[in-house]
Amino acid sequence: MPNVKPAMRAIYIPILLFFAAFLVVPLGVLFVRSFETGEGFNLSNYVAVLSNGELMMSIGNSIKISGLAAVITTVLAFTLAYAVNCTRIYRPLKAAIKIGILLPMLLPTITYGFAIIYSFGNQGLLTKIIGRNLFEIYGFNGLLIGYVIYTVPAAFLLIHNSFKYIDKKFIVVSKLMGDGILRSFSNTIIRPLVGTLGGAFVLSFILSFTDFGIPASIGGTYTVVATQLYQVMLGSIPNFNHGAVIAVLMLLPAVFGVLLLNYLEKLNFHYDKFTEMEPMQHKGRDISFGMISTVIVTGMLSVFAVMFIAPFLNSFPYDLSFTLQHFVDTFQSSDLTTVYKNSLFVALLTAVFGTCIAFCSAVLNVRTGIKGKSSMDITSMMTNTVPGMVLGLSYLLFFNGSSLKGTFLILVLCNIVHYFTTPYLMAKNALAKMNPSWETTGELLGDSWIKTVYRVILPNAAATVVEMFSYYFINAMVTISGIIFLVTAQTSLVASKIKELQHFAKFNEIFILSILIFITNLAVKLLADYYQKRKLKHL
Amino acid sequence: MLQLQNIGKQFDQKVVLDGIHLDIQAGEIVSLLGPSGSGKTTLLNIILGLTKMDSGKIIFNGEDLTNVPMKRRGFNIVFQDYALFPHLNAYDNIVYGLRNKKGTVTEKELQDYIEFLGLQPHLTKKIGELSGGQKQRVALARTLVTKPKLLLLDEPLSALDGVIKESIKQRIQSIAKEFKLTTIIVTHDPEEALTLSDKILIINEGSIAQFGTPHEIINEPSNDFVKEFILKQLQIKRQNIYHLFGDKNA
Repeated sequence: MPNVKPAMRAIYIPILLFFAAFLVVPLGVLFVRSFETGEGFNLSNYVAVLSNGELMMSIGNSIKISGLAAVITTVLAFTLAYAVNCTRIYRPLKAAIKIGILLPMLLPTITYGFAIIYSFGNQGLLTKIIGRNLFEIYGFNGLLIGYVIYTVPAAFLLIHNSFKYIDKKFIVVSKLMGDGILRSFSNTIIRPLVGTLGGAFVLSFILSFTDFGIPASIGGTYTVVATQLYQVMLGSIPNFNHGAVIAVLMLLPAVFGVLLLNYLEKLNFHYDKFTEMEPMQHKGRDISFGMISTVIVTGMLSVFAVMFIAPFLNSFPYDLSFTLQHFVDTFQSSDLTTVYKNSLFVALLTAVFGTCIAFCSAVLNVRTGIKGKSSMDITSMMTNTVPGMVLGLSYLLFFNGSSLKGTFLILVLCNIVHYFTTPYLMAKNALAKMNPSWETTGELLGDSWIKTVYRVILPNAAATVVEMFSYYFINAMVTISGIIFLVTAQTSLVASKIKELQHFAKFNEIFILSILIFITNLAVKLLADYYQKRKLKHL
Repeated sequence: MLQLQNIGKQFDQKVVLDGIHLDIQAGEIVSLLGPSGSGKTTLLNIILGLTKMDSGKIIFNGEDLTNVPMKRRGFNIVFQDYALFPHLNAYDNIVYGLRNKKGTVTEKELQDYIEFLGLQPHLTKKIGELSGGQKQRVALARTLVTKPKLLLLDEPLSALDGVIKESIKQRIQSIAKEFKLTTIIVTHDPEEALTLSDKILIINEGSIAQFGTPHEIINEPSNDFVKEFILKQLQIKRQNIYHLFGDKNA
């Protein structure tokens, strides 16, 4: 590891100041505000919120529905990951599962709600196909479907990744030792994955608990914490101090969840090495898992089908003749095209600067001996814990009087901090695998430290940098919970515009904007994947 | 001439090196030999300037380098794992340092180095496409073209197999001769050290066990450590080989 150079400090200090100003201080202010009352600082805000029956009920509702959604999600995600990793189902089907399951990630959660309404509502597409109303969608049922669709991709990725690190040879050993199906399954699959499955549950729970888009669109009269927080802050009688209390209460399960995640991490098996082995022949298993996973993925995606159909029809579901009029109208409306451009602009800036900050943080943490470098890890744990709504609210409180208020910049900053953890960990992971002597070699060959980072470290991390960029970009395009408190009429983004269009029942516009986001994100994702594949083949 | 004067180093109270004192003549190949944990790599890093020493001095050609930073000492190293840059091909690795110090070598000299190390056919290959011996030679070339005043090699043969090992050994010897380059090699293999170098510094638990020519070490081992751990190994090897070929070839 190279000796500490002034250039390292020149990067380290601004990054530290950045997170102090845009993470630590705003959260501190939020915390203080939750105790602030007309008569100084006391607990009366907490007393008021905790004795408010409706609020308490919404917290109870959130816990109940997020817990149920998390159970369903974990089971579904495990089933899919098992089908992909431990069966011999038709390869293209595996590929289709892996891609199909991730598609919902390219859409804002607020779109999910409207897709569900148009699919399962009284006049919905699936209702029409099936011939009758399956269930009441507004409220509990709709929320549950939305949360499950929202969390299955993330849970699947987590479990799928863990499957890679399971030594599949033990399945064969277990069979040779005479284990029955159940014992073999529990010893070679379930037991090594217990930590991950717990992690998938916690992750799904936190995601559902803190999401705003789904309850905003389909919550109906079933109140949850996220919608209550929005009501209190931006409703008819805003109460910032009560909002701060709710935000703190929202933060608690997230803190608890992250602690639990770290604990569950310890339960994971660490095999010395893992061997790739083809799963054993088993027709029955393959057919059943093939069918189940097809049903799950088609089920999830069919909810979104309506989104791609309705805007092409004159007046779904009454007049089903084909038209492009809605698209023409949308693209002619300067209002909507501006909003789309705003979103692109914010996502691009977020991706460029976010990737820079995350990459520099990871370089400092992994490849230098600078004092206090572990503060980067602490920062990443904090950003992982703080829900977008809580972060956004803390910005609203802290930057209210400043010139940052109502700018695009504050949206970009909020996104960068909100989504910092994953790109940071991606970079750390890639940098840790690189040869530790590169900086010394570069220095001996006449490079300054910065020059080696630019000439050697960066080119070798190119594939990861692109992945980080695409992660930041896509999330900045779809987020609503982070920015809902920070957007203004001038800085409106697609996701927040959708919320506004809802009040005018302009569903065609909602779907067209969603399709735009979807296509943009898909393009970015495909480009990033293509570039990564080429890079990896190159090395 | 490189003079190491009473070099000492501790890591958290633990003495890693103590009283290392010796002179290395210009153009000599010197091996630092010792078991793992003996402190030989630490000594190499101290000479290179990567690790700071706690006491002692390093003098090179009369100049005190003790407080001169790594980059300005003018020494260079080939690491055990070569640390080649995988995004560049062999040629771009070799000329990497020349972009920083233009005019260090002429185009003719560069071609000579490439020729000398037999790298002409491999220049456009990616690092991943090179064999272990080829990587070693690319790393040597990358280091040599910067014209170091002192060449350090960290376990240069450990990642290579059989036949390649012998040819790289010869290559290292001819480099030292051809360019009059003082070369310091870290190794844990007595056979390697004694057949490759002019002098051997045997280190045990941070102190010098013996410093001398291969002949001196074989014939006048200065203590039990040298006898037990260094000579014994060689004797067992000799026995095994005699056994294979039959005693008549002894």
